Amino acid sequence: MIDTTILSWVTFIYFGAFVFYLFRMILGREFWGKLAGWLALAGLIAQSVALIIRWKASYDLGIGHAPLTNFYESLIFFAWTVVFLYLLIERRLKNRSIGVFVMPVAFLIMAYASIAPGISNRIEPLIPALQSNWLTSHVLTCFMGYAAFTVTFALGIMFFVRKAAAHDSSGVRVFIHLLPSESQIDDLIYSCAALGFIFLTLGIVTGSVWAHYAWGSYWSWDPKETWSLITWLTYAVMLHVRMMRGWRGVRMAIMAIIGFACVLFTYLGVNLLPSLHSYL
Amino acid sequence: MSKKKSGIWFFFASVRLAIVLLLLIAFIAMIGTLFPQREAAVELVGRIPPGLFSFLQKMQIFDLYHSVWFVLLMGLLAVNLLICSLDRFPAAWRRFRLRPVPREPDAFKDLPEENLFYPESDAKKAADEAASLLKKKYHSFQQADEAGSVYLCAQKGRFAHFGVYMVHLSVLVLICGAVIGSVFGIEGSVKMLEGETASGINLRNGNLTMPLPFSVRCDKFTLERYKNGAAKLFQSDLTFIKNDRVIRSARLLVNHPVDFEGFRFYQASYGPVPGKKATLVLLREGGRRDIMNVSTGYTFELPGNEGTFQVLRVEDNMMQMGQAIKVAVRSEKEAATFWVFREIDRIKKVVPDVFEQVPVFNPGLFRPYTFSLLGIEEKYYTGLQVNRDPGAPVVAAAAVLLICGLMIVLFSYARWIWIRIDQVEGRVRISIAGRSIRNNVGLKREVRHLLAKLKDNLENPK
Ligand code: HEM
Repeated sequence: MIDTTILSWVTFIYFGAFVFYLFRMILGREFWGKLAGWLALAGLIAQSVALIIRWKASYDLGIGHAPLTNFYESLIFFAWTVVFLYLLIERRLKNRSIGVFVMPVAFLIMAYASIAPGISNRIEPLIPALQSNWLTSHVLTCFMGYAAFTVTFALGIMFFVRKAAAHDSSGVRVFIHLLPSESQIDDLIYSCAALGFIFLTLGIVTGSVWAHYAWGSYWSWDPKETWSLITWLTYAVMLHVRMMRGWRGVRMAIMAIIGFACVLFTYLGVNLLPSLHSYL
Repeated sequence: MSKKKSGIWFFFASVRLAIVLLLLIAFIAMIGTLFPQREAAVELVGRIPPGLFSFLQKMQIFDLYHSVWFVLLMGLLAVNLLICSLDRFPAAWRRFRLRPVPREPDAFKDLPEENLFYPESDAKKAADEAASLLKKKYHSFQQADEAGSVYLCAQKGRFAHFGVYMVHLSVLVLICGAVIGSVFGIEGSVKMLEGETASGINLRNGNLTMPLPFSVRCDKFTLERYKNGAAKLFQSDLTFIKNDRVIRSARLLVNHPVDFEGFRFYQASYGPVPGKKATLVLLREGGRRDIMNVSTGYTFELPGNEGTFQVLRVEDNMMQMGQAIKVAVRSEKEAATFWVFREIDRIKKVVPDVFEQVPVFNPGLFRPYTFSLLGIEEKYYTGLQVNRDPGAPVVAAAAVLLICGLMIVLFSYARWIWIRIDQVEGRVRISIAGRSIRNNVGLKREVRHLLAKLKDNLENPK
């Protein structure tokens, strides 16, 4: 299957982009950053092509559906949204230093999709409950949310790296001066979390509408739903403590990491619990 | 507000309480995912000490999302939201009503150097350009001239003050909708065979049944499968009957519910019913050939009193070799029990001497008859979910409000912009200042953008 071949190449391309972002950090030359940016973009385009091929292939098999319907496809799409969002942010901020923190995440997701045991990369037909137009909008919005939270998490890690490097006077000066200032990172953490919050809200709402059509109840407290609510509440708390209690810096970075842990549990952890959502 | 606010008011208006409540709700929700809920709780019986089980049951751990704890927290959250919003809304309203005035010296205090520039053109032209820029970007502006200086101001995004209130109101509406649903809503289900008519449903809470004000008949149930055996489609053709008159016929599919008289029908499930029918061919050597439909327990006299024939089992997939039935034939002389496989030819291809090895797989064991199985027809029931939820439209409205509110909160913000054109040491000076409630990063970018635009317009006149 050509699409899975392309996708395994994309995995390496993302790894390459990460390595070049790292070179930029260590050597302090913008050349590497540009190269990394172009490489990530090339990877994203290749990945989009693979997704389109896969989409078309499902129609050729007579079971046409968007490539968002099993665990493998959701991981691939997750990586796609992370890189997509990152490149948008890179363009907007004109700062390439977040790449070192985001690209490894994208690479790991792709690698996990292709090597983890028990993940089937076949194009599978849809069971009746999944045959719904809400499927696409639900998965799309959820994963945009997850991607924004992933970038938030990467920014949280970046915050700690910056803080640690600032105290360490040994010789990694270049490193620090390429990173945004602590207050800039803090603003970014907030913006990304807010963006993710909107998308997660949309994801929960579209999911509820769909459940309302499919199972007759917009909310049934199944573990995945419940965990998405927990995640939502966690980020709501994060927005409130910043707005009203003035939390900044380290505390927000910690919140970013805790929130991401909730996202991961919503996405992967609940599969350990019995659930309606067991197919994703 | 002139009203004297008590300690209770402050308690409920506090964001600290809100944070604690949100965290507690998240915590309880998490506990609920760790313990099996409702019907599923029975699986713990016998696996944990009975004392512990009944303690957990008393604490409502097995129905946490409907427990006193949860309802209490939700109630507190609602009060918190209400009081907090009431407490803060007047200030937001004042902020909304407040208009910037052009002459606002405070705005220009300690203005950083980057917010200033000195154009080549004269003050009049600079003021005109600034005015047309504000007009273009902010639709309207105000101007004041004073002692040779020109002051302009404009504003945008006043409605952003209300975004947060929309979000919070939507949560309140959501809670209301959920309450309406749980008080007035009905959740039931019914299982039917083809041709059956139901005039009541089994309620989800407790083992009660509830009569419907009409009856519903399942005319046909269709199940299609993919090659891999997974269900591709299942649907029921329903007919709604009231006072012995057919009111409506409808096809019910997954994801395509049917509404009737305030109830909503969902194709929720299906399942096999016992009593599968097998189609069996009976061949007497050199003689007649009979086809008959049989099911488990079916007994019958062979023609000419040659024996009694009984069906013991009907299997969909006997030892991975496909459909088969187990029959017993008894005559005065002999008795034989054996299996009749549908795909006996295929089995024989794989294991040519299967009859020698396993005599009971030989469908000709009882001479002079040979049996063959044409097929097994599985019968399915269709499982319908039948709901009525008057709260659902309220919840839907809340969702729309929530999303609109969030968009406003996070993508727009209120800001005021001032431009001053004055003369310092014989040179024209332009200063741009701004003020925003909660987006200083965005404001800075906007002011920088305005500055660049104005500079460009002055230096490169069209
Ligand atoms: C599930 C419940 C809640 C949600 C989804 C929610 C959502 C939000 C959002 C999105 C914001 C804007 C944050 C920002 O600008 O970054 C906000 C602000 C705020 N929230 Fe909530 N909130 C909830 C519950 C509460 C409660 C119970 C209170 C009660 C005290 C509260 C008090 C506030 C206050 C005072 C603000 C700041 C308003 C302002 O900027 O003037 N929130 N909330």
